[in-house]
Amino acid sequence: MSSVSYGDNKHFEHLKLPMTWAVMGVVGLVCIVAALMLLGDRSEQVEADAYARRQGFDSAAGPVNNVLSWPVHKVGDGTNWLDDYLFAVSENRILRKKVAELSQYENMYKQERDLNSRYEKLLNLRTEPELQMVAARSVSVSRGPFANNRLIDAGSKKGITFGNPVITDQGLVGRIVGVSSDVSRVLMVTDVTSHVPVMVMRSDARAMMNGDGNTGYTKLDFVRGKDSVREGDQVLTSGDGGIFPRGLPVGEAVKGVDGVWRVRLYSNRAPIDFVKVVKFQDFSQLPDASTLLRSPPVSDILPPPAMPKVDPQSQISPQTSAQISASAVATSASASSSAAPASVTQPASRAPSSSASSRASSAAPRPRPAAPASASASSSSAPALRPFTPEATPAAASSSTPAGTQP
Amino acid sequence: MKPLMKRGLFERSPLNRGMRGGMAAKIVGPWDWIIAPALLSVAATIVLATAFQPFGWYLPEPVTPFLLAFAWPLIRPSYIAPFVLGALGMFLDFFWGAPLGFWTLSLMLVYAVLVFARTYLIGQEWIIVFGVFVLTEIVFFSICTVFMTLDTGSVPRIFGVIEQAIATGVCFPAVWYLMEKYLHADVRFQ
Repeated sequence: MSSVSYGDNKHFEHLKLPMTWAVMGVVGLVCIVAALMLLGDRSEQVEADAYARRQGFDSAAGPVNNVLSWPVHKVGDGTNWLDDYLFAVSENRILRKKVAELSQYENMYKQERDLNSRYEKLLNLRTEPELQMVAARSVSVSRGPFANNRLIDAGSKKGITFGNPVITDQGLVGRIVGVSSDVSRVLMVTDVTSHVPVMVMRSDARAMMNGDGNTGYTKLDFVRGKDSVREGDQVLTSGDGGIFPRGLPVGEAVKGVDGVWRVRLYSNRAPIDFVKVVKFQDFSQLPDASTLLRSPPVSDILPPPAMPKVDPQSQISPQTSAQISASAVATSASASSSAAPASVTQPASRAPSSSASSRASSAAPRPRPAAPASASASSSSAPALRPFTPEATPAAASSSTPAGTQP
Repeated sequence: MKPLMKRGLFERSPLNRGMRGGMAAKIVGPWDWIIAPALLSVAATIVLATAFQPFGWYLPEPVTPFLLAFAWPLIRPSYIAPFVLGALGMFLDFFWGAPLGFWTLSLMLVYAVLVFARTYLIGQEWIIVFGVFVLTEIVFFSICTVFMTLDTGSVPRIFGVIEQAIATGVCFPAVWYLMEKYLHADVRFQ
């Protein structure tokens, strides 16, 4: 600042501020404010309070984004139409082939589901609570290396809360980190602050899936054990820590050029236009531990199994009953071996064996439900039981899907 | 006679008034070179964030406020521009879900450096300015990577950073357009 006398008695009109330094003062002020905000930000800890201050912005950004992106969506519809038109024939061939493959898996899946539901009932397992889902459309996405977020057009009005997992028909996408009335913010699993506990389905090995801004692949860290991960292994959420439910499909393991195990995300197979928010509350959000025990046993959900028919006229010798129990053990062993992944990878070869086992099941005895001690004591004087064949219970099969584990 | 002639020719002559009138029509306000480009930057960011993948490809995600952080200090040091740039940084922090203050601080550092380097850059050929632009971009994204690593403890994917830097660098013609249009547009900017 210079104070030169000009002799016209107008001191302030001749006041000269060094412009560069004055602007730098303003810049320094803004920098200080920004630095304080950055130091005070706790979004890397992925807590509800850290994102609470963004609710107002998100609720305003959703409608604005819808308006501004309308032309882009129109262009997208046009390119999709062109894409469908040009590649319809080749895509049809691929789909026919895929339908033929999946129809084998469908039969196998129904048999395994039926068998699994019966085992759950026999073992009196406690199932996971019923989970509801909310469908939403992706409004906007940030896919840069420093932040991977998504805004979806469903919020607290639809019952979405902080921490809810978000999936597509392909696999896991992320989780809810910010909720306003009509818009929610999804932290993608590829974000640098995202850490998801996962497991390898083949070896049951646990690992931590960390995002690094890569849109299609995430890092697989803290893999324990030798040969616990192989190329192509399916990776699921492990449920450890209670943030995600167990068993959500995530992707398959691949080894990067840098030698680091990564997960090729299933959700990246198709554009993430529509998502489903799983209303799953992690353990930390539950009011008390006893809430976990309120989930009903599976025997309360499923209908009772077909009880063996008692035929008082028939009597079998102890030797025959020993043979029956031995064959029952063999049947359960073969059933457990059928759950091995190696057999799952060959549906064509499994289909005849499963049909053969179903034919044999009409002759071979099946395990009986566990009876109370008093009942078994009283049944010692009762007539001997015949090996029973379970009746077809379509209602039981339809309601026996483990809730929340199938997207 | 001489003072009178001088006064008549250069101070209050119709010619002089005409020149001043022409200059007055050339005054460029903050709306022209600060507010309007900032709004365009916001609109471009929102449109490019649309969840849309043409033919399976992702839309690019350039840091459009970086273009303004480079162009504004070269056009003219301003008291308004730092505040608007800070607001743009805040917008990116909120809209992209980055830590609050992350983009604001990174953009302001670029602005601060270029305010001092202004006298060395204005009037240069476009290739020189482009070289400085690329250099500034490298420093900018390096700062962003360091900040993110310090804040989260995880290193962002470097290839992704390069992708975003390329997407931003492709937008250099917008910087050159702003400089060509506004650097010599107002005599007060000289």
